[in-house]
Amino acid sequence: MMFGRLLWKMLRSNRGRLAVALVAVTSGAAVISALLNLQFDIERKLTREFRTLGANLVISRGNALQANGDSSATPGAFGSPTLMDQSVLGQIERMRTPDVVAEAPFLYVVARAADTPVVVAGTWLDQISKLDPTWKLGGEWITSREDEAQCLVGRSVAQQFNLAPGGQIELGYLGRTAKLRVAGVIDAGGTEDNQVFVNLPVAQSLANLRGPEGQIQFVQLSVNGTATSISNYAEKLASSLPAYDVRPIRQVTEAEGNLLAHTRLLILSMVLLILLLTALCVLATMAALAMERRADVGLMKALGGSMSRILELFLAEVSVLGAAGGLIGCVVGVALAEWMGRRVFGTSITPRWDVFPLTIAMMVGVALAGALPLRFLGKIRPAVILRGK
Amino acid sequence: MATLVQIENLRKEFGNVRALDGVTFSVESGEWIAIMGPSGSGKTTLINILGGLDTPTSGQAVVDGTDVARLDEAGLTRFRAEKIGFVFQQFHLVQYLTALENVMLAQYFHSTTDEGEARVALERVGLADRIDHLPSELSGGEQQRVAVARALINQPKLILADEPTGNLDEANEQIVLRLFRELHTEGHTILMVTHAHSIGELADRRIDLAHGRLAHKV
Repeated sequence: MMFGRLLWKMLRSNRGRLAVALVAVTSGAAVISALLNLQFDIERKLTREFRTLGANLVISRGNALQANGDSSATPGAFGSPTLMDQSVLGQIERMRTPDVVAEAPFLYVVARAADTPVVVAGTWLDQISKLDPTWKLGGEWITSREDEAQCLVGRSVAQQFNLAPGGQIELGYLGRTAKLRVAGVIDAGGTEDNQVFVNLPVAQSLANLRGPEGQIQFVQLSVNGTATSISNYAEKLASSLPAYDVRPIRQVTEAEGNLLAHTRLLILSMVLLILLLTALCVLATMAALAMERRADVGLMKALGGSMSRILELFLAEVSVLGAAGGLIGCVVGVALAEWMGRRVFGTSITPRWDVFPLTIAMMVGVALAGALPLRFLGKIRPAVILRGK
Repeated sequence: MATLVQIENLRKEFGNVRALDGVTFSVESGEWIAIMGPSGSGKTTLINILGGLDTPTSGQAVVDGTDVARLDEAGLTRFRAEKIGFVFQQFHLVQYLTALENVMLAQYFHSTTDEGEARVALERVGLADRIDHLPSELSGGEQQRVAVARALINQPKLILADEPTGNLDEANEQIVLRLFRELHTEGHTILMVTHAHSIGELADRRIDLAHGRLAHKV
C-alpha cells in the first residue's frame, strides 16, 4: 500500500526527467517490436512464398531422380524407368499432416501426337495447381483425378499443335492411343510448357502400366513449414518408407534457410544495438536522477531505511518505466511494422501478440540495466548529506 | 531513573581533524539535555554518532544497551529505525510527499504503516488541517512540526534534535519549543544541539563542548 503510494509519488515528482527516459524506452521498444513483428511475419510469409515455388519433397525409388540428372525434379522432368508401385500413395496418404498442401504421383511417357514426340505427364490433375501455384492457366483446371477424357497442355505444345481450350489432341504410344479434350493451356515458364498433362490412369494406359498394381515414377509433395520442419517430416516419411528415397528438394529449402538465417541475424543485430542505445539513454537519465535523489536517500537511510528497501523503490520505478515504455512502444511498433511492411516489402504485416511480452520484458531488463547508477546511492552517508555537505 | 545513554572516552577523527576527543557523559532516561558549544566543537558529530549516522573512531556510545560503535551497517539501520527520532535544522522532509506521507515514511521503514496513527501524530503537533499539504505549501514552523511528528511516530527511545529552531522565526520557535517541553513532560529523552542559551536553559542539563572536548557540564 505505502510502497505503491511512494512509487506513484516518485514517478509523479520526476515526470520531466522520467519522460526523457520514457521516450527513449518507447522509441527502442517501438523499433524492436516492429522488427520482431517483421521478422516473425516475414518468416511466415517467406515460408509460404517458398511453397509457391513448387513441390519441396520427392519420394522415388532409389536414385531414380539422380539418374535423371535433375535433382530439382520439377513436374514434367522425364525420369528413369525405375518404377514404384502406386500402393505407396496409400502409405503416404496415411502419414499426411495438415502441413501437406498437395501430393501427386508422376509417370512420364514420351508419346506421339500427329507423329511428333511429346512428353506426357501422368499425374493427379486436381493437385497440380496446388503443387505449383505459380502456373498460369488459360481455360479450366481439371478438378477430378478420375477424369480420363480431358487434359492440360503446355503453352509450347498448344502453339505447336495449334490447340486451344476445347480442342482435341490424340496421343499414341506403342499402338495404344488416347483421344483427349484440351481443358486448359498451362503457362509454367519452364519445361512444363512442352508437356501434356493427363490424369495418371491415362498415362498408365498408354504405358501399359495400369491395373491394381499400377506403376508410377515418383511422388511430389508440397509441404508447409520451415526448412527444418520439412526435413523432419521427410525423415519421418523415410523411416516409414524404407524402400524409397525421400528427400527435400535442396535448392528451395536451402535458399529458404539461408535467407531466413540472414534476415534473423540482421534483425537480431539491430535489436541488440537498439537495446544498448536505449540502456545508455536510460543510464544517462538515471545518473542525473541518482544525483538529484541523494538527499532523499540520505534522509531515508537516517529514518532507518535499509538500502535494499530504498533500492526496491527505485528499481520498481525503473521497472514501471520499462514496462510502460515497452507497452506503448509495442503498440507504436505494430503500426511501424505495418508501415514498413507496406513501404519496404509491399505486403501487410500481421501483428504477433507474443512480441508484446517479449518486448516489454526486454525493455524492463534494459531499464533495470540502465539503473546501474542507482547503486552509487548505496554509498551515500546520511550524516554528510543531511549536513548539506 | 535508568541510564539511557552512556558515552565513554568517545573519539572521532576526520583525517587529521579531531572532532571528538575523549568525551564521556551519561544521560538518564527522561532527561532533556542541551548540547552547546561554538561551531566546530563536535556537537553535530556527537549527535550523529549517538543516532547511528556515523561511527566513532574509538570509545563507547551505548544507547539503550546497544553500543553503536559495534554495530555494522545493517545493525545501524535497524538501530536508527527502532530507537532514534531525528529532528534536523533543515527539516529534511521529502518534497514530493505530503505531511502525512512524510510521517508514514518513518513508519514504512520501521515496520508497517498506520495512517490513523500518523494523522493523530500530526494533529498532536497542531497540523490537523495541513495533513495533505506538501512541504512547499507549509511554513518553516509547520515543516518542523511535521518533522517532530515523524520523529515521534515510532515511539523512539531517544529524540535527537540538531538545532531544531535554527531556521525558525520567533513565533514558530516558541511553538516547536512548546512541543519539546510537552515531550519532555511525557517522559521522552531528548538530546538537543543548540546555540541559543535561552533554549539551553529549558533543558534539565547542559553539556558544553569545545574543540571536541567536554568543556562544562551543568
